[in-house]
Amino acid sequence: MQFRFILFSLASVLVLSSCKKDKSNSDDYSSTQILNDFSVNVAQATYNDLASKTEQLHQAITNFTQNQTQANLDNCKSLWKQSRQAWEQSEGFLFGPVATDDIDPRIDTWPVDFNSLDSVLNNQSVYDEAYVNSLEDALKGFHPVEYLLWGVDGNKTIAQFTSRQLDYLEALAANLKTLTQQVASSWTTGNYHNEFANAGNGSQVFTTQHAAFMEMVSAMAGICEEVADGKMEDPLVSQNAMLEESPFAKNSIIDFTNNIKSVENVYLGKYTSQGQSLESFVRANNLSLDGSIKTKISAAITALGNITVPFGQAIFTQQTQVINAQNAIRDLKSVLENDLANLVSQKIQ
Amino acid sequence: MIHEMGDKAFEATFVSAPAPLNPGLGPIFNNVSCASCHIADGRGKPPLNSSEPLSAMLIRVSIPGVASNGGPLAVPGFGVQLQQRSINGVAKEADVIINYSEQTFSFPDGETYSLRTPTYQLANSYIPLPAGVMLSPRMAPPVFGLGLLEAVDESEILKFADENDANGDGISGKPNYVWNVLAGTRTLGRFGWKANNPTVLQQTAGAYNEDMGITSYVFPAESSKGQTQYDNRNDDPEIPDSVLRAVSFYVQTLAVPVRRSADDATVLQGKKLFNDAKCGSCHRPAMQTGVRVDFPEVSNQRIFPYTDLLLHDMGEGLADHRPDFDANGNEWRTAPLWGIGLTQKVNGHNFYLHDGRSTFAAGSNFMAWR
Repeated sequence: MQFRFILFSLASVLVLSSCKKDKSNSDDYSSTQILNDFSVNVAQATYNDLASKTEQLHQAITNFTQNQTQANLDNCKSLWKQSRQAWEQSEGFLFGPVATDDIDPRIDTWPVDFNSLDSVLNNQSVYDEAYVNSLEDALKGFHPVEYLLWGVDGNKTIAQFTSRQLDYLEALAANLKTLTQQVASSWTTGNYHNEFANAGNGSQVFTTQHAAFMEMVSAMAGICEEVADGKMEDPLVSQNAMLEESPFAKNSIIDFTNNIKSVENVYLGKYTSQGQSLESFVRANNLSLDGSIKTKISAAITALGNITVPFGQAIFTQQTQVINAQNAIRDLKSVLENDLANLVSQKIQ
Repeated sequence: MIHEMGDKAFEATFVSAPAPLNPGLGPIFNNVSCASCHIADGRGKPPLNSSEPLSAMLIRVSIPGVASNGGPLAVPGFGVQLQQRSINGVAKEADVIINYSEQTFSFPDGETYSLRTPTYQLANSYIPLPAGVMLSPRMAPPVFGLGLLEAVDESEILKFADENDANGDGISGKPNYVWNVLAGTRTLGRFGWKANNPTVLQQTAGAYNEDMGITSYVFPAESSKGQTQYDNRNDDPEIPDSVLRAVSFYVQTLAVPVRRSADDATVLQGKKLFNDAKCGSCHRPAMQTGVRVDFPEVSNQRIFPYTDLLLHDMGEGLADHRPDFDANGNEWRTAPLWGIGLTQKVNGHNFYLHDGRSTFAAGSNFMAWR
């Protein structure tokens, strides 16, 4: 999901017409603390977990290449799903170096380029991390790993793994590990934490705290739009299961749900531990809005849970449930980009 | 609705054909989607050193002479744009290696600033390059507000043309007249670093064709046609007319960021300096769009693009020495400055000009709110 000027422009219009002074320390929150805590408890916590899970995935794939047992393969699949969960839970704040340094497409490009993948598997190159890194984005990241682990129909057997595939898988996983470490360190040892936490106070990126708050709100609304009107809408409208995003592992509904959970994480300021957050800010200013946001988050997650078959099938057999989930996510998006954005513009300078 | 359709298509990653989803990439190309150069609809970042590959930048090429349409003369076997990437099993045209030498300059008051001077080398070309090939690097520019610039009446732009500096103000704005594919004749150029594209539709179709190797009704032939990389596939046009129109509409209707902190003291100081230095002689603050009954979204508006859409001689230091229709090797179009203050936030860098050499936006305090 890309940051969009249209969204930003609307928000900016609002701030011009409704600037109010609010240092906010008299309430139960500090806007400075909220920004700091988002960086530490959400962005850094999520990316650190992602980097740790992909490291384990790489280890599991290395084990599988050495010893092709069903247990080792199952372990690879399980760790792919755990890594995928951390990544999807980061897509509610897809801004900063992951976007500007072009890391997102290297981790999560869809679709896979099958022709090129075949030709890579048939060439004579030695696969290593550097080789994978030099390839096109449609040949690296989550989805080629998914395709090679599950196979095109999702039921690949151990006998179907060729030695070239195994070698390529290991190099792919090494590359994914490196990329996710890069994202994590951009917030931890890199400068982006300071840019974000010091918004309006010397930050080169965020000249006001309002801009940093709106970055969070826009990203939350943005992923809602991406899920409801992109990831779900395209396969449904064109009635084409080939357009589904994680088809091989049949993981799409879990992906969507983790995206909404990512919105919740940003709102609550929590991946595992929790400090101050947008929730603290909203509760101090408008309790009923806090209730409304939480209700809509859980309604969206519940609606996704009501889809009981893989998404590639649901677009044909459970269209009502799919549309209900889309509408629940659109409701959430609306309260974020209207009510929450308005409140931020009224209270945060 | 069409805007949203175009937005999605703008982000779609193409892969090699045949494929169930988004086929047609290449065989030779610069990048795989619109959004991979125009990241977040914003400004591309140049390679920082000779080991980084080109991503949001491309190289136009030609040999001395003029093509039958009045444009640059194609390099035999390479065309007018170099594709430094290719699908698997196909040869890319060449590698591009960029080296920078950093030079520091001083303002009269002693404050220093630096400019990087890039040099370009082509290596590993799939066939030998002829002597005398001219290169012109082009960064991916932001893509918002283009429908508004397109809607400005030609007379409003030509009003400020003063090719021979008849009014003696030292500024000589010159219009570029460029090949308009659908009109079949030369018309006023507005888009691109040398104003070498007449319409958003042609710019979009050109980017699909040359940058990604995707054919459309405007450019139905692969960029590699006639070369050994050509795919010989009978699948053109590779995108439906509706997709090309939707992407073009998306770009035409992408809003300009609203000005920020306009009453801030530092910003006002920058505004004064911008005016005192007469930056606005070329970076014209305001224009009026024409009445467009067919396109109310962009019709009859006062806009603040900070450009005159005309060519100016930027001197030997910035010259690419490669003519592009009426633009000579020293001339570049005045770049619009609206939204420039958001580059750091949206794209995470501050590299400007056609080749991304500038790390310093003169008047940046003022422009921070644009």
